[in-house]
Amino acid sequence: MHLFLLGASHHSAPVDLRERIDFARRGIPEALDEIADVTGLAEVVVLSTCNRAEIYTHSEAPWPVADALAAFMSAFHDVPEPELAPHLYRRQGADAARHLFRVVAGLDSLVVGEPQILGQVKDAFAVASERGFTGAALNRLFHRSFTVGKRVRSETGLGEGAVSVSYAAISLARKIFGELTGRRALVVGAGEMAELTATHLRSQNIGRIGVANRSAARAATLAAKVDGVAVPWEGITSELTTTDIVLTATGAPRWLLTRAQVAEAMQPRRDRPLFVIDIGLPRDVEPSASELEQVFLYNIDDLQSIVRENLARRQAQVDRAELMVREEVDGFMRWLRSRGAIPTVVALRRHFERTRQQELERLAPKLAPLSPSAKARVEEVTRLLVEKLLSSPTQQLKAAPDEDAVAADADTISRLFGLDEGEAGTDEQRRVSRERAAVGAAERPSALRNR
Amino acid sequence: MNAPPLALYLLAAIAYAVHFGTRSASSGRIATVSLVFGALVHTFVIGMQTMQVGHVPLVGTTGAISAFVWVLGLAYLYTEMTTDERAMGIFIVPLMTVLQLIPAISNSVAARPPVLESRWFEIHVFSLLVAYATFALACVISVTYVLLFKELKAKHPGVFFARLPSLHVLDGMNGRAVTFGWVFLTLGLVVGAIWLVQVQPGAADPRVQAMSLFDPKIFIVLLCWLVYTFSLYARRAFGWGGRRAAWLSTVGFAILMLNFVPIGYFGTSSHNFY
Repeated sequence: MHLFLLGASHHSAPVDLRERIDFARRGIPEALDEIADVTGLAEVVVLSTCNRAEIYTHSEAPWPVADALAAFMSAFHDVPEPELAPHLYRRQGADAARHLFRVVAGLDSLVVGEPQILGQVKDAFAVASERGFTGAALNRLFHRSFTVGKRVRSETGLGEGAVSVSYAAISLARKIFGELTGRRALVVGAGEMAELTATHLRSQNIGRIGVANRSAARAATLAAKVDGVAVPWEGITSELTTTDIVLTATGAPRWLLTRAQVAEAMQPRRDRPLFVIDIGLPRDVEPSASELEQVFLYNIDDLQSIVRENLARRQAQVDRAELMVREEVDGFMRWLRSRGAIPTVVALRRHFERTRQQELERLAPKLAPLSPSAKARVEEVTRLLVEKLLSSPTQQLKAAPDEDAVAADADTISRLFGLDEGEAGTDEQRRVSRERAAVGAAERPSALRNR
Repeated sequence: MNAPPLALYLLAAIAYAVHFGTRSASSGRIATVSLVFGALVHTFVIGMQTMQVGHVPLVGTTGAISAFVWVLGLAYLYTEMTTDERAMGIFIVPLMTVLQLIPAISNSVAARPPVLESRWFEIHVFSLLVAYATFALACVISVTYVLLFKELKAKHPGVFFARLPSLHVLDGMNGRAVTFGWVFLTLGLVVGAIWLVQVQPGAADPRVQAMSLFDPKIFIVLLCWLVYTFSLYARRAFGWGGRRAAWLSTVGFAILMLNFVPIGYFGTSSHNFY
């Protein structure tokens, strides 16, 4: 019953190293196969995104697997171990579960609460699961993590609000126009931000993107990139009457659009809104144009202040999300420990049942004269007696507070009831229990102390 | 008899407020479920009263208000279920709760004067109630439109930005609600006029004799009709939508509310059947 995680993320490793240990380069299925070959692990999930590379494992035996995994990572990615090792983190048991839950909740992300990670973890799990690399423990762990991710997103505001300028612009557009399907946009100027926002608009199924630039060639280039239409520079004002969203990014020294020009364009539009995103520096659109009815004008500062507020709002939700993670980790660990107790419970039940059968056999001659219904009654009474006697110990064994207690219980039970070797608990549990008894509480093996 | 639906509406109002604040899924479910139960119990109450007196209890301001609240509840639930938007509930359900106080306190069912025993009368009142309820929805949608509009203009998206549908959707909902309400308002007025022409010559009742265009209640409702007619015309003819249409909806409903409570009780000499 040992969960283990080895990985590196944007918290621990610089981007050039993260690029070199990206599992997607050689393929996650290949990585899974190789880990299974090298370590003999049956339960493995490999999570690889642009910000993290992590290996989650579950095994009966404890930690030697850590070094084997580190060696595998170095060999698989062809990065020397001394270079890689300082950037890797190792987590065990509850810490590993907590790490995964925080990752899925978006608490460990570069931008807190970002939404993609949930889908990425689902994909990583699906890849491992389809190839038979997940068992009961990792199945449960990952499914719980998906629940955590959904709970955090629906019950806290952690994933809410745009946290980049271009998404802020898109979310404003959607609040004005609803679905953007079939709407028309006009991009004036060029630059990274203009291109990024145009790309986002395209992904919203916008109807048509017109692109205008003083240089017709540059207009054509950007139009081709975002699947838009080049618009002649002189045609901007006439284009304004039919477009819904205008993005300006020329940074020209004079107003590209004056208030009067916008007012004129609004005449035939009547009460159809016009959303103007001015990301030029200096500004392209005369600010007083925003006083016109149904004109929504946002400049780069407006958008950035929205982003800042959204980030602050997300940050305020972190504590609530961490609390949810803690609850879920506790729940998961209780389940995992109760599974640790199962071999002992099974052995105990088998022992009681065997004793019952032996006694019934021994008494068979005395019971022979009884009627079939009386014999059935004896059978039933003895069975119920065993059930009753075992019900409390079963519950107590499953509720053991930690793995030490599970091992100690297994040891005690097999001693008290004289269970055969191999009956109560796993070999591993009994070994741990014996070591603990021999070494004494003060000098536990470090692996156990860390738990 | 009108108290149990009142209690459920109050519960729903609280739940809608909590849902608006926290946006938790469970409070939203509680809100909708208690409103559905409130409307069901209210249906039962109106049904019982109908059986008790032999006609739908629409006579008298208390009966009319109870029926109005009921229709408004159904209209709101229809909107919520078809658009999957719960944010409007915080405006509608408290209004229903406050109005329902009136029939819950004065609990008697008004006796119906013989002059009102007519199919025309029932159609008249019912059409107007549907119109009023729809205009109430249009008004709330418009208020939310203006609130969201202000946030977007102020470049400071906040409470309403996070909770309301887009301006485009709100404007469309307002337009549809006004159109629907206008049809029923017109129907109600025409049917009322037909009924009046039939009964006025022979009726000794002073209230029936007092019915004219200058009776406050009739005058005000005609004013509303003009406001809504203008709103529909302006949308088609001059492209008036958005904030202008929202203001017209709000003004129209404010005048209607004036008619419903203060004038319904004190100001009219013709429409006081209780």
